[in-house]
Amino acid sequence: MTKYTMYSKMIVHSLLRRRSRMFVALLAVAIGATVLSGLVTIYYDVPRQMGREFRSYGANLILIPAGDSQVVAETDVARATELLPQEQLVGIASYLYGRIKVNEQPIMVAGIHFQEVKKVSPFWQIRGNWPEEQAGDILIGAEVAELLKVEPGQSVTLAAGESERKAKVAGIVRTGGTEENYIFTDLPMLQQMLNKEGQVSVTQVSVMATEAELTTFTKTAGDKVPAVTPRLVKRVTQSEEMVLGKLQALVYLVTIVVLLLTLICVATTMMAVVAERRKEIGLKKALGAENRSIVLEFLGEGLMLGLLGGLLGTVLGFFFAQSVSVNVFGRMISFQPLIACMALIVSIMVTGVACLIPVKTATSVEPAIVLRGE
Amino acid sequence: MNILELRDISMIYGTVKALQDINLTVQKGEWVALMGPSGSGKTTLMNIIGCMDKASRGSVVLDGVEFSQLNAKQLTAIRRDKIGLVFQQFHLVPYLTALENVMVAQYYHSMPDEQEAMAALERVGLAERARHLPSQLSGGEQQRVCIARALINYPMLILADEPTGNLDEANANIVLRLFQELHQEGHTIIMVTHDPDVGKLAERCIMLDHGKIVQHSNRYEGVAKACVNG
Ligand SMILES: Nc1ncnc2c1ncn2[C@@H]1O[C@H](COP(=O)(O)OP(=O)(O)OP(=O)(O)O)[C@@H](O)[C@H]1O
Ligand SMILES: [Mg+2]
Repeated sequence: MTKYTMYSKMIVHSLLRRRSRMFVALLAVAIGATVLSGLVTIYYDVPRQMGREFRSYGANLILIPAGDSQVVAETDVARATELLPQEQLVGIASYLYGRIKVNEQPIMVAGIHFQEVKKVSPFWQIRGNWPEEQAGDILIGAEVAELLKVEPGQSVTLAAGESERKAKVAGIVRTGGTEENYIFTDLPMLQQMLNKEGQVSVTQVSVMATEAELTTFTKTAGDKVPAVTPRLVKRVTQSEEMVLGKLQALVYLVTIVVLLLTLICVATTMMAVVAERRKEIGLKKALGAENRSIVLEFLGEGLMLGLLGGLLGTVLGFFFAQSVSVNVFGRMISFQPLIACMALIVSIMVTGVACLIPVKTATSVEPAIVLRGE
Repeated sequence: MNILELRDISMIYGTVKALQDINLTVQKGEWVALMGPSGSGKTTLMNIIGCMDKASRGSVVLDGVEFSQLNAKQLTAIRRDKIGLVFQQFHLVPYLTALENVMVAQYYHSMPDEQEAMAALERVGLAERARHLPSQLSGGEQQRVCIARALINYPMLILADEPTGNLDEANANIVLRLFQELHQEGHTIIMVTHDPDVGKLAERCIMLDHGKIVQHSNRYEGVAKACVNG
């Protein structure tokens, strides 16, 4: 048997055969590691989660026709939006605005793809239903509904120039904004009625990106597709980043406090362990152990604790972050190997540092106490 | 041949004079009993001989090496290489088996050697209990493990501080028989004891009182009387 196997045997047995004692220390490390890895996971996941969350508050980018033009071709818009990072896209909704007569009254109208608007404007409240795509049904704003005295399910007559048709009102829109003065039809239908096939007035884009990324996009898209002028919705992007920054700072602070608490907790436990084992240390010294051996043994035990507690905590931390993510954001997170590795290394390091003072105390135990039988 | 030579050893703890001007030589192969009332300085003397404490004054020479100039590390080396310790409270590492406890001494000394450790346990009649933890052994058995451990590195001097103090008579007898065997094999033993019958087994009996040697006798000159007086 080599010295090394004996050394590992001593450490492993010291941990395994004194389970109740070491359990407390293990728990301290594991809890620290749990909170640490959980918080760091959330720290990295929060921007993604919140970014998606924020996107439900409306578009953060709009594409409008360049120059004095009132409309822009849908193909140009598509070319521009293709330049955006596709996996970050939450929704794209194009609008064609115009004026038509509804039941003989001149009303403002917007042609939209209902499913897309639903994505970028989740705050729309609909009494009745969203119309089926291509069914020819319409939505009407609350103000308009009041003016025309129509209810969901009734039909109205739409007239623009020569063309005239009947359409069923699927639902009434309430937003608290100007949308309440509009009626909304299917985009192709309105394009046809206004003789503006393939053309739109404005495109709203909801994309998860920082202000800087969006600014870069507006430049490249403006250059590559001259017919389109992209604009940032500044108010939205800026407040998003501020809130995110504050959230991250908070998580950062809590992480540091937890690390410190773990450090103190492990150090105290190891202190108690050393105090409890004074006799054993004295004995080992009486048997001829040098300080170096004593240090190596306690450090070995400490690092082993750090490793076990770290492993346990990393796994638990993932589930902790997972449950936070599911409960708060309603989304699963993926396991991050890098964060797991880091949490493990930090737990081992923190335990190592926490052991320094207790180990120093251990070396100052006098072998003479063994005969004295204190 | 002198193995140990103490000259004018004094040990002072603050105002307590635990030892005063102790002079003593021990020959190779001798068995010396150290007796005296509680607080007379027996353990203090053992600690000084065992390199676990430094005397306030005087010189200790063990195997030709004088202690007073040595630093803590050198004293540790002497303790490791030349001294075998047996304690009243056994002092086994609680989370290691009997066999591993013997191997710990090898580990700090040089290399753990399972066969040799096993042989040492066989020597004290504990081969079957080698894989038991101290808590699973009786006091007598623990003390025998302790003796096996003390012997494992071939010490030149065995120091035993009341090795039978915590044992019943039957177990004490087993342990004492072991010491007798060791003595016959030529080991040098210094043993602290309160029991006159144990003292009688030794070749020489030294009485301490208030830190001084008050009586120094050998087996053939009424050692029993001297020891009983203590
Ligand atoms: N570390 C210390 N500090 C102060 N006084 C001490 C210390 N160690 C021992 N003493 C004192 O030295 C004296 C001798 O103590 P020692 O332990 O050597 O006695 P002993 O003969 O072994 O007694 P016992 O038979 O009870 O074990 C005692 O008066 C004791 O109080
Ligand atoms: Mg004593």
